[in-house]
Amino acid sequence: MPEHSDRHARNPVPAWRLPAAVRLGLACIAAATATGCASTGSAPHTPDPLEDTNRAIYRFNDAVDKALIKPVTLAYTQLTPAPARNCIANMFNNLGDVFSAGNSFLQARPHDFFNTMGRVLFNTTMGLGGCFDVASRNGAYRIRNDFGITLGVWGLDTGPYLVLPILGPSTLRDGAALAGAFAGGFSPTSPLFAIRNIRVRNSVVGLYAIDARAGLLEADELVEDVALDPYSFVRDAWLQRRHADVERRRNNSGSLPDYGDDDLPDYGDDTPDSED
Amino acid sequence: MPISFMFQHHCRRNWSWALLPMGLLWFLLWFHMPASAAIDPKAAPADFVQAVGSNALEIVKQEQDTIRSGDLDAINAIVDVHVLPYVNLEKTTRLAAGRHWREATPAQREKLVDAFTGTLVRTYSSAFRRVDSRSRLEILPFRGDADAGDVVVRSLLHQSDAPPVAIDYRLEKTAGGWKIYDLNVEGIWLIQNYRNQFAQQISQNGIDGLIDALNQRKH
Repeated sequence: MPEHSDRHARNPVPAWRLPAAVRLGLACIAAATATGCASTGSAPHTPDPLEDTNRAIYRFNDAVDKALIKPVTLAYTQLTPAPARNCIANMFNNLGDVFSAGNSFLQARPHDFFNTMGRVLFNTTMGLGGCFDVASRNGAYRIRNDFGITLGVWGLDTGPYLVLPILGPSTLRDGAALAGAFAGGFSPTSPLFAIRNIRVRNSVVGLYAIDARAGLLEADELVEDVALDPYSFVRDAWLQRRHADVERRRNNSGSLPDYGDDDLPDYGDDTPDSED
Repeated sequence: MPISFMFQHHCRRNWSWALLPMGLLWFLLWFHMPASAAIDPKAAPADFVQAVGSNALEIVKQEQDTIRSGDLDAINAIVDVHVLPYVNLEKTTRLAAGRHWREATPAQREKLVDAFTGTLVRTYSSAFRRVDSRSRLEILPFRGDADAGDVVVRSLLHQSDAPPVAIDYRLEKTAGGWKIYDLNVEGIWLIQNYRNQFAQQISQNGIDGLIDALNQRKH
């Protein structure tokens, strides 16, 4: 199964055109899959053959986060007034919506595509360049979508669970999709490179990262509070969420969440009184 | 409450006795609120969830100060009255423990249910903090077979400044009516998310180890 996913996962992102960092990432993913084929024995609902490596990267990420990323993010949330922070988050979301719309298009979801493009047009004009999310205030909420979901809708399995350095939880499929999105985002034709001043451009990238982290501060507290093992908690939540994201689109149930009855978890061993 | 009174209360401990009768009175009034009496566990599953959910939401709105203060005892009291009668956490715990449940003694089972309940209350008390006056629960049209013994009710929790959150409730029919035993928030089933962690703890430290680990999460 991993070989199969690997072959398909890399098709949309031709490696010869990618920057060195992304090629290195792909090489890592390929290496990870190779190891994945060799090991066995994961629980059926959580394909995590690379658990040892993943845990090591998880610990690394956690250390980097505690020492650097979280303090910077906390400083950011304390130093900037909430309206400015919301404006920044909304502008990034507005750009992200363009990608979401593109993926809705690729998934043949016209309803989501037109709604999201409508949001972008409305927010970019009436919302002053995306600073205000006026579309949400009028009931048109974001419909998040990404290339990993697109690959899933196209029928690609997730492959093994991966923890990416700095970026966190992912799978082989989602990691490859992310590499593709990165390649697009950092290619010379992307809007980012319309910013000629390198310092400004780097600041925008940094701000994007901090904004993304700021959105996770609450979730992060929750995990600290309730998880027995944060690694497993995050992994299982991530895998379930991604699975649901793909399934509700495959069952084609509009943008209302509907996870279809056949999709309910089957806690099959609920036989408290039977023998063995 | 006048600021001077609060000040005195903090400075001179012997003032605190005056709060007790007030608190007791408040508690009795609150206990007899008609809202919770209106919930009928034998109604159609969607109506039952609507009643339980809306009732809990109203209470959370009223008690927002208590909840924001992070007073776990007060939060537990709210959950005891307005949530626990309608859920079957024994089943939740049993399913989360999976095949290991059979290895547990009755005493261990009881402790495990208590410990897991504590964990879950902490989970949801942090979610309660985000409820504001404009939060409301919308039950989506019921699409399953209402005569089945095991059904799913879907809902959207609307908030003022964020996209609605998709919450599904899984219910089973018991002699006493419907009981909620599993919850799905944005695609993530609660029980499923604890199964691996439970199995992991049990294989490493046994069932008592799991109970200790759950209790250790208390702050």
